[in-house]
Amino acid sequence: MKQITKVAFLVLALGASACTNPGRFDNMGGAGAGGAIVPGSAADPSSPVYFQQTVGDRVLFEVDQSTLGADARDLLVKQAAWLMENPDFTAIIEGHADEQGTREYNLALGARRASAVLNYLIDRGVAPNRLRTVSYGKERPIEICSDEACYSQNRRAVTVISAGGLTS
Amino acid sequence: MKTGLYISGLAHAALILWLLFGSLFLARDNEDLLQVSQVSILSEAEFAALSAPEPVSVAPATSTNAPARPQPPAPEPEPEPEPEPAPTTPEVAPADIDRVAPEAAPEPEPLVEVAPVVRDPVTPDQAGDVTQPETQATAPEAATTEIVTEVTETAELAPATSARPHARPNRTAPTPEPEPDPEPETETAAATDPLADAVATAVAEATEPSPVPSGPPLSQGEMRALQVSVGNCWNVGSLSSEALGTTVVVGVEMTPEGRPEIASIRMVSFSGGSEASARRAYETARRAIIRCGATGYNLPSAKYEQWREIEMTFNPENMRIK
Amino acid sequence: MSLHKTLNLARKLLLVALAGLAFAAPAQSEPLRIEITEGVIEPLPFAVPNFQAENASAGEMAQSIARVVAADLAGTGLFREIPSSAFISTVTSFSSPVQYADWKAINAQALITGAVSVGTNGKITVKFRVFDVFSQGQLGEGLQFAGSAGSWRRMAHKVADAVYSRITGESAYFDSRVVFVSESGPKNARQKRLAIMDYDGANLQFLTDSSALVLSPRFSPTGDRVLYTSYETGFPQIFLLEIANVGRSALPTPNGNMSFAPRFSPDGNEVVFSLENGGNTDIYRMNVGGGGAQRLTSAPSIETGPSFSPDGSQIVFTSDRSGTPQLYVMSANGGAARRISNGAGRYNTPVWSPRGDLIAFTKQNAGRFHIGVMRTDGSEERLLTASFLDEGPTWSPNGRVIMFTRESQGASGAAALYMVDITGRNLRRVTTQGAASDPSWSPLQ
Repeated sequence: MKQITKVAFLVLALGASACTNPGRFDNMGGAGAGGAIVPGSAADPSSPVYFQQTVGDRVLFEVDQSTLGADARDLLVKQAAWLMENPDFTAIIEGHADEQGTREYNLALGARRASAVLNYLIDRGVAPNRLRTVSYGKERPIEICSDEACYSQNRRAVTVISAGGLTS
Repeated sequence: MKTGLYISGLAHAALILWLLFGSLFLARDNEDLLQVSQVSILSEAEFAALSAPEPVSVAPATSTNAPARPQPPAPEPEPEPEPEPAPTTPEVAPADIDRVAPEAAPEPEPLVEVAPVVRDPVTPDQAGDVTQPETQATAPEAATTEIVTEVTETAELAPATSARPHARPNRTAPTPEPEPDPEPETETAAATDPLADAVATAVAEATEPSPVPSGPPLSQGEMRALQVSVGNCWNVGSLSSEALGTTVVVGVEMTPEGRPEIASIRMVSFSGGSEASARRAYETARRAIIRCGATGYNLPSAKYEQWREIEMTFNPENMRIK
Repeated sequence: MSLHKTLNLARKLLLVALAGLAFAAPAQSEPLRIEITEGVIEPLPFAVPNFQAENASAGEMAQSIARVVAADLAGTGLFREIPSSAFISTVTSFSSPVQYADWKAINAQALITGAVSVGTNGKITVKFRVFDVFSQGQLGEGLQFAGSAGSWRRMAHKVADAVYSRITGESAYFDSRVVFVSESGPKNARQKRLAIMDYDGANLQFLTDSSALVLSPRFSPTGDRVLYTSYETGFPQIFLLEIANVGRSALPTPNGNMSFAPRFSPDGNEVVFSLENGGNTDIYRMNVGGGGAQRLTSAPSIETGPSFSPDGSQIVFTSDRSGTPQLYVMSANGGAARRISNGAGRYNTPVWSPRGDLIAFTKQNAGRFHIGVMRTDGSEERLLTASFLDEGPTWSPNGRVIMFTRESQGASGAAALYMVDITGRNLRRVTTQGAASDPSWSPLQ
């Protein structure tokens, strides 16, 4: 019993650290811990890793825009469905901007993007109290070149799934 | 001739006035170069918190996430600087002992003190300055009259900087009548100023019949050469923006060799700024006259009476930040 | 009657007088009148011989202080130091007369002499004089500062401040500090921590560790507190930090998702900032200690980057209500705002100058970033810099210099601090240990 709680705690802790480790922005790929159908792995449809890798955790935006394109809306429909099927999870939606802007304006712009995603998910039936937004502005680019190829990937809103509540 | 008497009377009154107000612009001549105003303004404790000589590495503080602290910044600074009696060296006369708060240095000069004009009987030519290396005579080092920034170098967005306008020769045309009011104020429109008109007429009448034994007026080229010579040493690069908005009129008497009499240099008037900015503008103008005049301005000695006294208006309008 | 009017009258009377004299004594001619309108703009050459060590233990410090004074002055771009190798005469005593001819010969226009003594209690005393070499006189009177040996750099800065203001006629900025964000790590996982240093990069101290992202610190008008934005709780939130003991606390802002972009009011009692709620960002003000919160804007657009005018009556800010970020000015109590930026491009991070006459800003146009200044009505816009990414201007205490962040391009891009004169001259990098961004300049200490 003691052992089990310990293991559960460890798994939770790992999950949490995957969400708060600042280094996570540069490894969108391999978060899974390996095994075939290990619960919590990418193969487990109810795992955050599955959400990230298979459902798709991010939508992209045009320069200066926070409106959702058709591709983004399609993806968010799937995100909403996943969230409805997995009611134990909550999500923080991170808004980001490319580096072509000033720090504070981009914070506000990132918040606008995150909010656009949040509102869409709520419209699709996700309970508002399971969602929260945060903006990183241009502080956490995922691609680091100074070209549109990178900028287009950085203008994003990422839905980060976590098992815990949404206290700040 | 009645008019002449009238004017002459006025003239004397004016001269008296001038002596009264003119003294505003004469420097204190009793300045003791060795006076030190002794001020002790910094308390030891005040700096205790700041005096860590090396970048302080941080140690983790109580909680794991809490930012670490720099070195404990020492005893609480005492709010008041302890006035330390400054050691008085015999040759340093402690004049005006001011207790100055840890603000900046005070500007102790009284308003009347326009600049420290040194009543130095030694004129440059007596002082052996003439034998100084030619460095004095050389033109100032490469300087610019335009500001080239990163921006101006590049795009079409650049603020349009154009070559400085050439001097307006009309202004300096060697007409016998006095310049209108040399102050750059709106009132320079002398034509509408009856007083100035009257004066101009009077002067013209006065000067016409009596041949002045001092040669003809300076030619336009001679005037222009003088303007350029002084301008070459007129460095406004270190003036505050307010001082750059201040026009000063500086009077100077010249030796027959074309050198300025340093002791005669004085501020005649100023406009467009405070006393303080006028003082800085005047100091800069004064420096220009002295520096570029050290080996004598190129002035025709046959016309000495024409340029024995010069009033130079230093108008930095074109030199301002654009 | 103002002095000025008096002078005008005096001048007119003088003209009359001269006219009269022309009658009385025809030989007495008018002064020749010329107008000088074209001068030069060049750094003023100055010399700072090593300060005199008045006792043996002051030797090293006397030299160091003279060096800091020289570096301060030369660093402004308004002055140029004449190297000691060019000196003809040496200064052997603080009280001996100045050999003007020797300094004239090397074209030193200003001469700064000084002396340092170390007391038995470890206190040092610094005294100095400034000479106008060509006028052969002293500029102002000699001054003396006393302080602890550990504060010698500050005393040197104070000397330089005094010299600067005596020559230029305006106050200086050398005895001041800068709070900024010290950066390390790769571009996609940047570590940031608050740091403070002297304006010239000396005396670096860290104020936070790098466990949480921190952004845009802002000095209080008294230089003893800092507002900044931290992700300490996971969400951007404004914190107040006391520099003396590095104690920090979250600003009790009204409920919202994210608070950021804080700036102090000129009296230091209030904060103006941005609060984001539901994706919309507006401007609020409140007491630093909490309470008194007041919403100043309520538009669906982004309103951020507020900055008070020095008299506290107005606030300049950025809004994209027109479609792109532009600068607006409104009353410090909110209400109607008027747009002041009119050029092409996007305008951000407006900061009111301490003199009150200019607003500095970041402008983005045609793929370049600029730091610029404009008058408070938006006229006379002047761009001072151009680069891949410049942003976040902060004013020197005297309103003459702007410090800002310049970030280089590409995967290895890094941020650094730069300074530029408001004329656009004298652009130079500020020495920092490692990458740095988001400077905020303190008042003169």
